[in-house]
Amino acid sequence: MRILLTSILVFVNFILQTTLLPYLSIGGVLPNTALIIVVSYALLRGSISGAMVGFFSGMLMDIFFGTSIGFYALLFLLAGLAIGRSQKEFYRENYLLPVIICSLTAMVYESIVFITGFVFQGETNILYFLLRLLIPEAVYTAVVTVPIYRLLFGVNEWLELKEKYKYRLF
Amino acid sequence: MFSFFERHKKLILTGAILLLAALALLTSGKKLNATVLDSAIGFVVTPFQDITSGIGSWVENTTSSRREKTELLEENEKLREEVAALQADNQRLALYETENETLSGLLRIAQKYPQYASFGATIIAKNPGVFYDVFTIDSGSMDGIEANMVLVAPEGLVGKVLESGATYAKGQSILDSRSSVPAMSLRTGDLGVVKGDYTLMNNGLCMMEYIDAEAEIAVGDEIVTSHLSDIYPPGLTIGKVREIQSDANGLTKYAVIEPAVDLKHLDTLLVIDKNQTTDAATDPSHSTELPADDSLTESIPLEEEVN
Repeated sequence: MRILLTSILVFVNFILQTTLLPYLSIGGVLPNTALIIVVSYALLRGSISGAMVGFFSGMLMDIFFGTSIGFYALLFLLAGLAIGRSQKEFYRENYLLPVIICSLTAMVYESIVFITGFVFQGETNILYFLLRLLIPEAVYTAVVTVPIYRLLFGVNEWLELKEKYKYRLF
Repeated sequence: MFSFFERHKKLILTGAILLLAALALLTSGKKLNATVLDSAIGFVVTPFQDITSGIGSWVENTTSSRREKTELLEENEKLREEVAALQADNQRLALYETENETLSGLLRIAQKYPQYASFGATIIAKNPGVFYDVFTIDSGSMDGIEANMVLVAPEGLVGKVLESGATYAKGQSILDSRSSVPAMSLRTGDLGVVKGDYTLMNNGLCMMEYIDAEAEIAVGDEIVTSHLSDIYPPGLTIGKVREIQSDANGLTKYAVIEPAVDLKHLDTLLVIDKNQTTDAATDPSHSTELPADDSLTESIPLEEEVN
């Protein structure tokens, strides 16, 4: 049930992100919804779940838009793993932490893409990257994190309640 | 008095009948104005008539109105359906009109390069990232699309196919920073390479690099693909020069190019198969590909034909 729901979520997000989301771009910048989902899963379910969701989200990106298989998959997987590891103990009901973490992760993610794709090829226009791409995307991602995290939180609660009865955990 | 009537009842009756008959006969055919008496009677009677006939018609109306109401409702519904159908038709026709325009545009470009086999495709998804401009199109290797085929729109070059799956293909537009297209200025023949640039990508622009410092390229020049590429056929329109700057080393210049195609709002495009020439090409000069070692001067006539 959980696996089915998660895969549907990842799939639907990918479809929406690549078809309808570009209409919501502000100055060419889009929120990275796939990253938000990965981070939310890592926070709510731990590093292994985060890493798995990250791997499959990244793989979809690689298959349809990447030039090498595995680049985005690795990035998303590491994001899920690292956040799951570092944030074991926190209150899930608190929204501030997921927002900050999503925003920071988006910044780190874009920086890695930028460094591997551009700086290594001699690109030096870092100021443009910082001001026009990185900071707007961090802000936009932070704003969009709130509804997505709320949705995932609700889904997770519901699933945990079902599992609790199913496996008689309490 | 009364006995008089009793006695002459028959006589009076016949007299009255005869009188009335005579009156009727006399007044028939003659238009007479209503007398005061008539008017007085009418004054009293007609309101009642009005009321009663009003009541009658009200009763009749109420009885028939229910029937009429259902009829009207039915009719209204029918008309509504008809309106909806007509509106849908109208929209469909308007859609056909725009589709017709784009398709005839594509047909024109297909005829512009008749030496290559080509087929239409639609963009179905776009890369959500900020650095690259990669998109997915709805036909793949099952439709004959292979990597490195060229994507064009009615206005000009769009990009190339990066990779093709069974039912989809990955396209890379000329705005992508990994794309480089050998190009030349149509007016002066100056060569260069059109490259994507992520700082210009969001504005829908790209760069033409490695232009000779002494080149006479000017703002507004049309840029087309050159014959130096083994992917892009020569003479495809790329765009116009918007701005020219010299590089820091002083040996080369670069130009900011405004692509002829509105790449931000593109949805239908044409895939050109460069390796497959069609038999439909009637003009012998079009039926053969230019050899790779063709010199610049020889390729100019072709571009003049193209434009």
